[in-house]
Amino acid sequence: MTLDALSTVLVSGIVLASVYALIASGLSLVWTTLGIFNFAHGALMTLAAYLAWTVSDAAGLGLWLGAGIAIAVAGVVAAGVLIERLIVRPFYDHRDILLITVMTTLAAMIFIEKGSQLIWGARLKQLRPVVPGQVNFLGTTISAQEALIIALAPLLLGLLFLFLRNSRIGRGIRAVGQNPNAAKLIGIDVSRLFIITFALSAALAGLTGILLGSVRMVTPAFGAEPLVKALIIVIFGGLGSLGGTIVAAYLLGLLEAFLIFFIGIYWAPSMIFVLLILILLVRPQGLLGKVVR
Amino acid sequence: MSEAALALDIRDLRAGYDSYDVLHGMSLHVANGERIGLFGPNGHGKTTLLNAISKVIRPNGGSVSFMGEPIAAVSARGIVERGLIHVPQANRLFPDMEIMETLELAAFTRRARAERKTNLDYVLKLFPRLAERRRQQCKTLSGGERQMLSIGVGLMCAPRMLMLDEPTLGLSPKLKEELAAAIAGIGTRGMPMLIVEQDIAFVLSLVDRMYFVDHGEIAREIHRGSDVDHQEIMDMYFGERAAS
Repeated sequence: MTLDALSTVLVSGIVLASVYALIASGLSLVWTTLGIFNFAHGALMTLAAYLAWTVSDAAGLGLWLGAGIAIAVAGVVAAGVLIERLIVRPFYDHRDILLITVMTTLAAMIFIEKGSQLIWGARLKQLRPVVPGQVNFLGTTISAQEALIIALAPLLLGLLFLFLRNSRIGRGIRAVGQNPNAAKLIGIDVSRLFIITFALSAALAGLTGILLGSVRMVTPAFGAEPLVKALIIVIFGGLGSLGGTIVAAYLLGLLEAFLIFFIGIYWAPSMIFVLLILILLVRPQGLLGKVVR
Repeated sequence: MSEAALALDIRDLRAGYDSYDVLHGMSLHVANGERIGLFGPNGHGKTTLLNAISKVIRPNGGSVSFMGEPIAAVSARGIVERGLIHVPQANRLFPDMEIMETLELAAFTRRARAERKTNLDYVLKLFPRLAERRRQQCKTLSGGERQMLSIGVGLMCAPRMLMLDEPTLGLSPKLKEELAAAIAGIGTRGMPMLIVEQDIAFVLSLVDRMYFVDHGEIAREIHRGSDVDHQEIMDMYFGERAAS
């Protein structure tokens, strides 16, 4: 492997990893707080990309990209809150909430995917990049948009960490995830924090969708593959550990890039699964997960 | 006794889990500044009573007033905002949070935030051990420390009345004494309290009056210094248990 090739693979791995970290942390946040998986998380990504495209593309309303981003994020936050209110909240007191919400959020995913297909059609769309041009990163030329993704991921995740660690609402969200009854007894409105959690998670999915929408082509199934990867990452990183999720996202992104280089794009995804299964056999609780949850 | 002199006035309260009632119409009151003990066999409704008051569970009927205001329809958050604080039994709190973080978080309502500094100073003085371990996570605490933190969390909520559920469950005699002293200290500030306890000697030393709870009802009221002696209480307790 030449130095050039190494650099190319490394950089593409970092881009991939940054996207995974952003998308998986939103999924992880909802899991840690509510104990459910939101299968519509990837579809929210798709929705945001289409909304931003509609507002900002010349074939749509042709407005400023900033307006597209703002409207798209607001739109997916609203969609996230709706998902929580309509198809998660009715089952909070149900013993099988985890399985029931797998079903309901999968339904939401299909609804958003098919809805997008009806509204926007199956033709490929691409967002304008937030920043145009190309930059050199570690000896490899990448689009400035990809560089933005690399820079924004740690920034946004750092902000998320600070928020959860130091702010009153952020600490409240952690408290609700760790012990909802004890949280109730100090006056925390559990249901309100669940909404905020969903809104935050949706905003992260939305931003990821917008960032990725100018790197990849947007289709109705745009968010499906990232969702599957994010699910693996959350489990691999250790359920209930946001830090583990982020570490796993970067590991997996790099691993995937190297596997694609060495064994090709067709075998790489399945080899990732094989490796993950092997690792989970040795460490069933995941990278940083607790043994008991 | 006039309405306003009562901190807590409960009449005919019914509550339970799923479709069956554990409390079959319970009535009791706590006067302002009064400390009340609740005792009786396990599974007869003491914890259910506290849960129904603090809205961990929804009552099925009856009335509850706090400081003269009806609160049977108020949300869990509203109950905390009014200062009626429930310190639950064997609370494992927030396993991954540190002591100081937990105490700061506990001042969550607006009223509690306004009193945060004063209350924090008071809690750390009352339980110096918490101050020593301020960066330790809840899950690494011993039973005694966790109980101290649990009461500390209650105090951070800016209580006007405290309801303690078995504050000494599973603790050593020495720790029990330590906690009893702390609870008595809180009581001397005129805080009305409702204390659920299995340890009769412990609760007798702390309260002005006791209710004996049996099969989801108040079976008996015992005034301090009344002619009911310790042996009689033991008989009541174990006799009932043997009979049920």
